[in-house]
Amino acid sequence: MMPAAQADPKKYAVELTGCTKQFPTPGGETYFAVRDINLKVEPGRFVSIVGPTGSGKSTILNMAAGLLSPSVGEVKSFGEAVSGVNRRASYMFQQDPLLPWKTVIDNVSLGLTMAGVSKAEAHSEARRWLEKVGLKNFADRYPHQLSGGMRKRTAVAQAWIVNPDILLMDEPFSALDVQTRQIMENELLQLWQESGKAVVFITHDLDEAIALSDEVVILGAGPGSTVVGSYEIDIPRPRDLLDIRDDPQFVALHREIWGRLKIEVSKTYETAMAEEGEVA
Amino acid sequence: MTLVGSKKNGLSSALDAGGPRRRRGRGDISPLAMRTAQLILTAAVLGAWELSVRTGIVDEFFFPLPSDIFQTVWLWVSSGFVFPHLWITMQEAILAFLVGAAAGLLLGFVLARVRFLERLLDPFLQMFNALPRVVLAPIFLLWFGLGIWSKVAFGFTLVFFIVFFNTLEGVKSVDRVLVDNARMLGASEKQLLRHVFIPSALTWIFSSLHISVGFAITGAVVGEYLGASAGVGYAIAQAQGVFDTKGVFAGMFILMIVVLIIDLLVNRLERHLLRWRPAQSS
Repeated sequence: MMPAAQADPKKYAVELTGCTKQFPTPGGETYFAVRDINLKVEPGRFVSIVGPTGSGKSTILNMAAGLLSPSVGEVKSFGEAVSGVNRRASYMFQQDPLLPWKTVIDNVSLGLTMAGVSKAEAHSEARRWLEKVGLKNFADRYPHQLSGGMRKRTAVAQAWIVNPDILLMDEPFSALDVQTRQIMENELLQLWQESGKAVVFITHDLDEAIALSDEVVILGAGPGSTVVGSYEIDIPRPRDLLDIRDDPQFVALHREIWGRLKIEVSKTYETAMAEEGEVA
Repeated sequence: MTLVGSKKNGLSSALDAGGPRRRRGRGDISPLAMRTAQLILTAAVLGAWELSVRTGIVDEFFFPLPSDIFQTVWLWVSSGFVFPHLWITMQEAILAFLVGAAAGLLLGFVLARVRFLERLLDPFLQMFNALPRVVLAPIFLLWFGLGIWSKVAFGFTLVFFIVFFNTLEGVKSVDRVLVDNARMLGASEKQLLRHVFIPSALTWIFSSLHISVGFAITGAVVGEYLGASAGVGYAIAQAQGVFDTKGVFAGMFILMIVVLIIDLLVNRLERHLLRWRPAQSS
């Protein structure tokens, strides 16, 4: 490897350039999930991707993770092309990712033990993380013995313990009830603020996106959607998520971004209605 | 005597997998009372049988007296006559189970991971599975002789397919998210197998363990029945050959008890290995 000091291309934790993802449909046609996506996420930035249903949000995240490779275009992470799984990223899934046959502590330490860390060491690190997420008394439980919120916390600890430079989050809190969700968002922000990690956060909830992010990226209506807008969120940090929705800056930003997102949402809705009409 | 009792036991513990048995809500009978009722039922059925044979309503030749059957059982057990036969049958069943399960697991994993092989072999596996296995017994007798290996081969064909199909399904039905998550956490292909695929398939295999263990024993006994020089199936066939219905019933009874004990052990093992699973609520 060249030791050349190419500072510029390494600037971005995640960089998608002209990424298109298409799938062949059973009918022999081509389905475009996303088209010509350009996305740049600097280290330490919190970027949310918001879009209507079916706009390919998860496809973008999966490409950044290396779980999907783009049909056209290039995915880079810290200047290096991503081939296979992106080793500098952790992924928080919308669904429950815990292995049901492992205890909480074994789940949390999984990333470390698989990397060859000794079990004792991995467990002590996992204990530290369990304490951080408030689960230190649940280390020996199995996932099914935990509540949804506790499972999410376990998943957070599991994703963070490997100390990734990038966190990819696919609507991680959407399955939680509203109160638990706000608490989790607050905790996430606290963890993130100390960490300097880049976050790519997917949500369909604009409130959540604005409250958490440095930047909100809006995707157009699918299929074959692309980035239609990008908004800088300059609400000062640290933010108090419980009161942020009354903040005048928040309200102004929300109005502005919603004005754009609304168009895409209604497009999606109309397409869905038209398709339903075709079927009927 | 514990027949009816332990049968019920196995059934109810299969229903509420894991955890100490709790007493159920209102209107329920205590376990002790239930046990007593089961004993009474057993006594009533056996008593009615005994009585109808003694009064000549039922022909003793076809339905020997229960007391005679238990006497024969006692004779077989106390004289030690049945134990070598049981031992042979168990050897055959255990070997059939181990070899069948190992082969089923291996092929299941390979086919689940290699799509090409699965599509290639699928029709052949379906064909063999469609074959009524009993028709293989004569050919196995010719190939492997009267000894235990013809029975092992026969039991193998029964166990293999159950374990194979369950493994295949178990590996294929692994939650995509679990796989992706493990990969994102840095799992190699080998680690994926160890941490995700094997445990996931094990749940499927264990849920079929009762059936495959039962089939291993069935395979051994049926194989012996069709041609052997030892084993419980052979002992039953011998008794039948001399119109000793008491012996046939005694053999049946002993087999039944043995299978129940094995089933109990399998239950224990399953409960231990699948302790991470939530208790199934109906």
